[in-house]
Amino acid sequence: MTIGLFAVFIVITLGVTIWARVNTKGTDDFYAGGRGFSGPQNGLALAGDYMSAASFLGIAGIIALSGYDGFLYSIGFLVAWLLTLLLVELMRNAGRFTMADVLSYRVGKRPRVRTAAAVSTVTVSVFYLVAQMVGAGALVGLLLGIHPGETFMGISPEAAKVITILAVGMMMIFYVSYGGMKGTTWVQIIKAVLLMAGTTVLTVLVLGRFGFNPSEMLGAADARSGQPGDFLNPGLRYAKEADGIIGKLDFVSLAVALVLGTAGLPHIVGRFFTVPDARAARTSVNWAIGLVGAFYLMTLALGFGATALVGQAAITAQDPSGNTAALQLAQAVGTQVAGPLGGEILLAFIGAVAFATILAVVSGLVLASSTSLAHDFFGHVLMLGKPKESQEVAVARFSAFVIGVFAVFLAVVVRDMNVAFLVALAFAMAASANLPAIVLSLFWRRFNSTGVVCGIYGGLIGSITLVALSPVMSGGPRSLLPPPVDFHVFPLENPGLVSIPFAFLCAVIGTLLSREKADPERYSELSLRALTGAGAHGPQSTP
Amino acid sequence: MQADDLAALATDERFRLLKSRFRRLALTLVGAFLGWYFLYIALSAFARDFMALPAIGHVNVALLLGVLQFVSTFVLAWRYTRYARRMLDPLSAELRDEAGQRQAERDRERRILAERHRIENWTRR
Repeated sequence: MTIGLFAVFIVITLGVTIWARVNTKGTDDFYAGGRGFSGPQNGLALAGDYMSAASFLGIAGIIALSGYDGFLYSIGFLVAWLLTLLLVELMRNAGRFTMADVLSYRVGKRPRVRTAAAVSTVTVSVFYLVAQMVGAGALVGLLLGIHPGETFMGISPEAAKVITILAVGMMMIFYVSYGGMKGTTWVQIIKAVLLMAGTTVLTVLVLGRFGFNPSEMLGAADARSGQPGDFLNPGLRYAKEADGIIGKLDFVSLAVALVLGTAGLPHIVGRFFTVPDARAARTSVNWAIGLVGAFYLMTLALGFGATALVGQAAITAQDPSGNTAALQLAQAVGTQVAGPLGGEILLAFIGAVAFATILAVVSGLVLASSTSLAHDFFGHVLMLGKPKESQEVAVARFSAFVIGVFAVFLAVVVRDMNVAFLVALAFAMAASANLPAIVLSLFWRRFNSTGVVCGIYGGLIGSITLVALSPVMSGGPRSLLPPPVDFHVFPLENPGLVSIPFAFLCAVIGTLLSREKADPERYSELSLRALTGAGAHGPQSTP
Repeated sequence: MQADDLAALATDERFRLLKSRFRRLALTLVGAFLGWYFLYIALSAFARDFMALPAIGHVNVALLLGVLQFVSTFVLAWRYTRYARRMLDPLSAELRDEAGQRQAERDRERRILAERHRIENWTRR
């Protein structure tokens, strides 16, 4: 039944994508959906792009197993939007399609700025993409109820994983290369509505079991958590007392990356340009804050509800990392409310929502990176800013295909590794590579192109190097490389605390050391344009 | 945009006011939410006993402060939007219209000039 419901989602979204294709003519349509989306529509799409399966199933699972500590993720993911709210209007006014448009506004036609921005966009997107796709592969077995060693219609779990990754990859390539921003935005809107509906239904049913008294639910969760008394307190999962000060710094480092990363995520930035003006952009971020906030508050009910109604033992028995908690909760609550059939129906519905969530988020990521490749690298670096519009769109469609295939290939290769750290790493990279360049471009008069390039590469290389030299890679209990290998010198698993200041430093030093003069006139023009919207690309902007 | 038009607008008193208002607003917002967020993170990492105190029923201080983070985010977003609408938007709309008008004037001048050239070339022929 999950598959049936999911098939309905696919058919509807394919229809929308084909409709979008008919209405997509130039770069404004393909990259920015014709800038014709309203604030609320784009707000839904932003929320849809942002709320990944990792947050839906993952956070519910972490809360179900680690209690309060899982909730910290939700808070970081939401608070980050205030920074986005502050930057969105300026970026919407200053840019055209991508982050690089904003960065290169002041420094003119310097290909290295575009190249750096494209490299950073594609790297961040691909890391995030691989994490999501591996997650999808792992999920399908659980959703279809295939346990290791069993088969489902003659398919082993391992084969099911590969097939899922391939299928998800094919769908996302189709959505993006065929429907462009218009098609992808509608996919996000449909997914956001489904996800909000699914979590609301589940939350109401769960709270209803406890007479709508959250305190009672928490008490029941605490009792069935396996760690009664500690379950609702900080420290079960992150910054355990046993890990000492390093553990605590690591935790702060994660928190920094979560709160500063969102405003630099390429697939979020790309959405700023789909609305007619800066006011609509502000409205859309306000909508996103409302939706994302409501969603993460509901993850509390899902996570604690799963512990209270399913019990921690049953959750870990199905999946040790807790990713199936929300699904088990759906089945349990449905059964309690409407008998076994009710349980099956609710499980199928929530399962289909989870599939839709994965598909929508990976599509958003592919769109962001192919836009950057085609617009920044092909259009401005290779063609010196003078490509034909039809040419650029064709390249964008083709890039979506190339990036999609590349991500599928990577995901299949690393499918059995624990790549959950890639999501946190993508946030850390976005915060280190993109945020300093954006903030300094908008607010520092002296900033120049050397500074932009140093900041981006410094942040990108800095965060990747730190992770490679950390216990994530080697020498820790959960390292990617097996025990005898140990070359870790950096003690923290999360690089943000070091790599973000390092990137700011690189940007400042690069600026001061280069002999290149900043152009004060261009800076005035940028701040005038960013703050007032004078000369910004409107709904019918000419190329 | 023409350099002297730009310079005129960039040194305009209203633009300075807009800039300083935005700067103050941005610093206040960032200071408020990052300060409050990191205070909360620091409490979670270093003040565990305090966070474990019961607040309402089974809800302890940690959960209560966490939910307050949500509330403060909503309130800050709402206040920011209200302030921007009242104090920033009218100014920026005024400046944008002026810039648009100047641009339109320049375009008109350029069109007239081009037309004159065309006529001159035509009569000379």
